[in-house]
Amino acid sequence: MSSNKILVIGGGPAGLEAARSVAELGGEVILLEKRERLGGTPDRENYAKLTHHWRDASEAMAELAASVTSSARVEVKYNAEVKGMSGSAGNFNVEIEAGGVAESLNVGAVIVATGFQHFDPGRATQQYNYYTFPDVVTLTDLEKMLKDHHVVRPSNGEAPKKIAFIQCVGSRDRRIGNEYCSKVCCGIASKQAIELRELLPDSKVMIFYIDMRMYGYWENEIYWPAQEKYKVNYVKGVISEVLKKGDQLLIRGEDTTMGRPMEVTMDMVVLSIGMEPSAGTRAIAQTLGVKQNKYGFIEAGGEGGLDTVATSAPGVFVAGAAAGPADLNDSISMAGLAAARAVAAAQKVAA
Amino acid sequence: MTTTVEEILERKSHAVIRDPEVAPIVDLREELFELEARGEVIVQRVPENHVEVTTKFGRKKKIPIDHTWHHKSCGQCGHIPGYTSSIFWLHRQFDLDYLDPKDQTSCTGWNYYASGASNATAQAAVMSRNFAAAYETGYFPMIHCGTSYGHYKEVREQLIHHKGLRDEVRRVLDKMGKPLVIPEELVHYSEWIHVMRKRIAEKQTVDMSAITATVHPACHYYKIVVEDAIYDPEIYGGQRMATVTATLQALGMNVADYSTWYDCCGFGFRHILVQRDFTRSFANLRKIEVMKNEVNPDVTVTHDTGCVTTLDKSQFAAKAHDRKVGIPVLSDAQVSALAMGAHPFRVVQMHWHSTDWRPFMDKLGVDWQKYWDEFQGDLELIRSGQKAGITWEDADKPVVNVA
Repeated sequence: MSSNKILVIGGGPAGLEAARSVAELGGEVILLEKRERLGGTPDRENYAKLTHHWRDASEAMAELAASVTSSARVEVKYNAEVKGMSGSAGNFNVEIEAGGVAESLNVGAVIVATGFQHFDPGRATQQYNYYTFPDVVTLTDLEKMLKDHHVVRPSNGEAPKKIAFIQCVGSRDRRIGNEYCSKVCCGIASKQAIELRELLPDSKVMIFYIDMRMYGYWENEIYWPAQEKYKVNYVKGVISEVLKKGDQLLIRGEDTTMGRPMEVTMDMVVLSIGMEPSAGTRAIAQTLGVKQNKYGFIEAGGEGGLDTVATSAPGVFVAGAAAGPADLNDSISMAGLAAARAVAAAQKVAA
Repeated sequence: MTTTVEEILERKSHAVIRDPEVAPIVDLREELFELEARGEVIVQRVPENHVEVTTKFGRKKKIPIDHTWHHKSCGQCGHIPGYTSSIFWLHRQFDLDYLDPKDQTSCTGWNYYASGASNATAQAAVMSRNFAAAYETGYFPMIHCGTSYGHYKEVREQLIHHKGLRDEVRRVLDKMGKPLVIPEELVHYSEWIHVMRKRIAEKQTVDMSAITATVHPACHYYKIVVEDAIYDPEIYGGQRMATVTATLQALGMNVADYSTWYDCCGFGFRHILVQRDFTRSFANLRKIEVMKNEVNPDVTVTHDTGCVTTLDKSQFAAKAHDRKVGIPVLSDAQVSALAMGAHPFRVVQMHWHSTDWRPFMDKLGVDWQKYWDEFQGDLELIRSGQKAGITWEDADKPVVNVA
């Protein structure tokens, strides 16, 4: 028995956009969300502003979620998890558990949008002492503070005067196996640097980097204003250690432009943590039997590499950061394509 | 309603528990067993009597307690003999079965790190020959030297991943009639001390609670092949290697932190050979003086041959220039032996250390002059031909008791 229904797994930006697009194309959608609310990582992690366009993250996610919840063609199941799947494209039987109740679904295609998780600096990059020093924070920690319009040193509640960002924490690091660039951290760090300078005009903000990867319009929208208008200092050099010096943090590394080692004291250090496949992405790949790449993300691209939403299983598509590091533009664009491909795949079999 | 700052602090208040399932680096031991299954190597198993510890990414490592084959250190035997004798003394105190082999060679790792005249096959063949020698005795290798330990871990990785190298090494070993053996674990002696620390503390006769110590972690132990070092949520919140620090804390010392903890001692990998002045400067300016200025410890403790030598024996040059130095340097093995009442000269051999250790011994309450006089008596007997040398009979008994 073939089905026209499309199952979307994950209620973050990619999942929401995929569900919305399928509905707009006339398809029926069942959207599974693991939590009790939609919005994915931007919602869970309390993002302040989105890069780029500087939109309020809550507002943007609420808008996207509303476009799904208001659609008669989309059924959202919360606290839901996939337990197993059988069948093939056009006729998948999916065992789920939603709100503690087991259920069987018959769907024509599946879109996986289970997203990413932020790299945990305690797991492999212990030398930055995130779990030791209160004033070493992550991009996501600072994002929450920026959303509160209240950025302080966790150690003493005072506004930081000197703040350093360390780029590529958990990304582009062969030693820990994450050889890939996480794509968004440079833009987000620069965006946060601007926000810091707006919020704390007396603060000095430095970004230590391997090389700044400011894709597309981030270059002119974020990178140059950060330097020219907001006087953010960019220093080309990898930081090797974050240590304590009195009540401040001492960062040590190399200023490659000057060709010399350096030590600078800071009030706060922000680790620009990268992306890793979420636990949900790792688990769903196993459950659905789709291939993962060596980093644990779902392998996409099809045989020729240009089918960017195809997985190793016909009829199962992937969108967003479940397939690898992605910014919101990537995720939303992929979701639209995944929606179109899923609808086509379900229709093809039904026909 | 918790604030963002409270959330951050709450998250940091929990020790990081690592999940070995998502370790970022493959477990070499699995590949080792696969090679064994294909008949390419013999994997020597860790003896039954072992303790499991947690390593950097949450994996377990087996540390043997006894039945160990002691791979000694050139630099310890040559410069700090009390280091080696302390390791053996500790084994003897616990009545543990160990072997001090006479057919062990240098690992030649220093040659490798100093870009000397060696090559991958020679390096791997030397390691494999030593491991084969251990395997033939049935005793499991325990490596005294940090450089050997780090070097062997690098070579093990090369052997596992490079069939051509394995074939070359096998050809060399065939000439000696020895099999290609790689131990299941590469074990550093300081890991043995780490797992024995509570038992050592139980036999402690010298109160060390008045002592402030700094720890210097050995690069070859935890930086070269990072995934194999011991990490413990109880020590530095699991954010730095636990080895040495946990031992000193178990012995009641106050371990003080300082801002160049992560820095090399100055030995480097080749600097000590080719840029010795740089080594001396680094050891003094980046390590000893920083410790002195920031926490002024009574002693600094480390766990590698090169580190003890460099940190200790570089201080004379700085002292000659009236710089602010003067911290005695010991290994964790020597400190453990001292804590259990080992003779300061027959066993720990403090007289091989060039930085003044007397204030440290005074603070411990050890009447070092009394033991020095005893030791002078030993030397007199040797000089007069009445004794061939100091034996375990002379040294086994704990003598110091100031608890």
